Amino acid sequence: MAILEVKNLTHTYGGSSPFINDAVKNVSFCVEKGEIIGIIGHTGSGKSTLVQHLNGLLKPTEGEILFENTDIWENPKEIRKIRSKIGLVFQYPEYQLFEETVFADIAFGPKNMGLKDEELTACVNEICEIVGVKKEYLQKSPFDLSGGEKRRVAIAGVMAMKPQVIVFDEPTAGLDPKGREDVMQIIKDYRAATNATVIIISHSMEDMALLADKILVLSKGEVYKFGKVEEVFASAEELRKIGLNVPIVTRVFYELKKQGLDVKTDIFTVDSAAQYLKTLKEGKENA
Amino acid sequence: MDNIIELKNVTFEYTEEDAVYAAVKDLNLNIKRGDFTVVLGHNGSGKSTLAKLLNGLNKPTHGDVLVDGINTRDEENEINIKRKVGMVFQNPDNQLVASIVEEDVAFGPENLGLAPDVIRSRVDDALKAVGMYEFKDSTPHRLSGGQKQRIAIAGIIAMEPECLVLDEPTAMLDPKGRAEIIETVLRLNKEKGITVVLITHYMEEAEKADRVIVMNDGVIIEDNTPKEVFKNVESLKKVGLDVPQTTELLYELSKNGFEINTNIISIEEAAKEIKNALHLEEN
Amino acid sequence: MLKDITFGQYFDSKSIIHRIDPRNKIILMILFIVFIFLSQNFFALLLACACVFSVILVSKVPLKMYLKNMKAILPVLIFTAIINLFYGEGGKVLLSFWFIEITTVGIYKSLFMALRILLLIFISSALTYTTTPNDLTDAIESLLSPLRFIGLGSAVHILAMMMSIALRFIPTLIEEAEKIMNAQKARGADLENGTLIERVKALIPILIPLLISSVRRAYELAEAMECRCYNGGEGKTRMKQMHLGLIDLGSCIAVVIMCSAIILCNILF
Repeated sequence: MAILEVKNLTHTYGGSSPFINDAVKNVSFCVEKGEIIGIIGHTGSGKSTLVQHLNGLLKPTEGEILFENTDIWENPKEIRKIRSKIGLVFQYPEYQLFEETVFADIAFGPKNMGLKDEELTACVNEICEIVGVKKEYLQKSPFDLSGGEKRRVAIAGVMAMKPQVIVFDEPTAGLDPKGREDVMQIIKDYRAATNATVIIISHSMEDMALLADKILVLSKGEVYKFGKVEEVFASAEELRKIGLNVPIVTRVFYELKKQGLDVKTDIFTVDSAAQYLKTLKEGKENA
Repeated sequence: MDNIIELKNVTFEYTEEDAVYAAVKDLNLNIKRGDFTVVLGHNGSGKSTLAKLLNGLNKPTHGDVLVDGINTRDEENEINIKRKVGMVFQNPDNQLVASIVEEDVAFGPENLGLAPDVIRSRVDDALKAVGMYEFKDSTPHRLSGGQKQRIAIAGIIAMEPECLVLDEPTAMLDPKGRAEIIETVLRLNKEKGITVVLITHYMEEAEKADRVIVMNDGVIIEDNTPKEVFKNVESLKKVGLDVPQTTELLYELSKNGFEINTNIISIEEAAKEIKNALHLEEN
Repeated sequence: MLKDITFGQYFDSKSIIHRIDPRNKIILMILFIVFIFLSQNFFALLLACACVFSVILVSKVPLKMYLKNMKAILPVLIFTAIINLFYGEGGKVLLSFWFIEITTVGIYKSLFMALRILLLIFISSALTYTTTPNDLTDAIESLLSPLRFIGLGSAVHILAMMMSIALRFIPTLIEEAEKIMNAQKARGADLENGTLIERVKALIPILIPLLISSVRRAYELAEAMECRCYNGGEGKTRMKQMHLGLIDLGSCIAVVIMCSAIILCNILF
């Protein structure tokens, strides 16, 4: 069942504004319940503008966004309720921390939804359990935590509202490998616990190959491609046209082919690549 | 003198909640003139502290740092040292002081008290060197992250430093911006002969370096050519570094009985290596 | 919303006004403003209007940009106009309600004041559109430099430096404020509804992160400036030297003619 549907979405910014804005043009796609969708595209391709429509932070110039088959702008007064159902984690979310304690900061979202007292405490505790915020941190100031832990708390702050769809704008930007791995794990854990639908903007084709079910490619504000990971990465040539690429490991196989080896090119992760080459080698040895 | 920077038994300590920690421990290191050195390490490995020691922004708790023979503790030479060793930081936004690109690049030379026409030609040269000359009249906030970072680099090289230290200059950039920066820095090193110390946690950025230093917990754990350092994928992964997929794949294959080198980053070489390994078995 | 603010932004249309020495430009602008306020009748003001519009035309900055600045100041404009409407004594009474009387003189005065403010905004916009913030601060620094004789030299430099950094960071901080606002809205923060106190309280989640990030930026900027050999402006030179040239002479003559014409109008009519 489609949980989220974007229909002919167009957004243009006031032309005379001195700031650079990335508009979107006639974007349509459909997200099934429980899917993980990756959004890729260059800076300025409209990714950020697009995701800010999904939870009603921006209002479409044209077109509509359907959440569970209802237009999210059907009742503009209720738009805040939509924001708790479709969570949005911005880039560098740790810059939005403001409360005195980690607990209070994570509680900010649920409190805005109207949760109180025990309910609120239970909600915060539950999300901390899921994403691995340590108990002893709860009464600390969020500003005393390390960079990676700050981000964990900030993400927990959005997840605490228990959104059914959660959107991430480059969740691993600026982190080191350990931090990136942690964030990926948080996303997987939340999904395992809640069955949520996940939408991720990322520059890393490698991460997308590991995580996503489908990929939406944006270019100059329009949908360039939308389909299963295999389908999108199968057209390396087309991606290259707009300055994007397939995962590095896939490129190795394209290179092998170029060098005259008869190999598959629909391999997108290191594990499957190693497996494939191993069987290839064993096949040769046995022959 | 062959070394532009020398670190002699350098320890840097800081206090946090009454406890003393050492970010850099008893470090000995020489940076050779004209070299392209990459310092790899995860967050908190002491690599940023090291960067700030190189131009006297941090003064060692113990030991000495010599820049072109001058001790960074020498207050008299503070400006002189900063001019010799230029520094570029992570966040491009927080390094630009002026609202017009060329005026920003002029900031350093102006502080040095140079004559207006000298500043003019240095600014133009620096902007050309980073490929941003056509943007000289723009305002920085309309540029992309990679472009802003290139302006920051231009602002430093306009002071004509002998050494350029970059502290995670690509951490906040998208892949396109990252490529721009690495390409620019490499060119400055090769064409202008500027000594470069690049601090990063991306292993692929070290591919074309003359020398790679791996830091962990305030000490140097590896110091060699890229090829030699990358041989040991296991230990790089252990200290939380980002190993590119090509190297990762070769490493997985070597674990699975392939006779294969793992110290490779580029796609072409990796493919060649795999091809050879497959053929070898054939014969 | 926040992005509509353009005041204090440079517009690179490469006109002749861009080439006037900024120090000269500031002095001429002040002179002109004084004469706008000295114009006592509609003829003088109309003449001032014509002068301002010729400046706008020559500046090659689209009129739209000027009007946008007007939009920001519109409430003040309307407020001034309304206040003046009630204070016009004498003339024909057009409307009388309770203690309020609207007279022809009132209307005249109100229009007159509104027009003056409008011209003031236009002419100062012309200055900021045609002069880079750095040129502006350099010019102010240079104009204030005689203060060094009474030992205020470094104070003047610090002031100028602060102004130019503030101008540099205004767009960055506006963008950041907007980002934080959206992030808190995404967490269900309600910024539009509620009583005044509730609304002020709702600003806390925006102001605290903004403050913290500004402090971080300031710290990083200070370090970066240190690395670029900044030491409080001592012995600092300038790439762009300010020279008085023919354009400056010409612009001076033009402004003097305009001002004399305004005085002439004052006397004649």
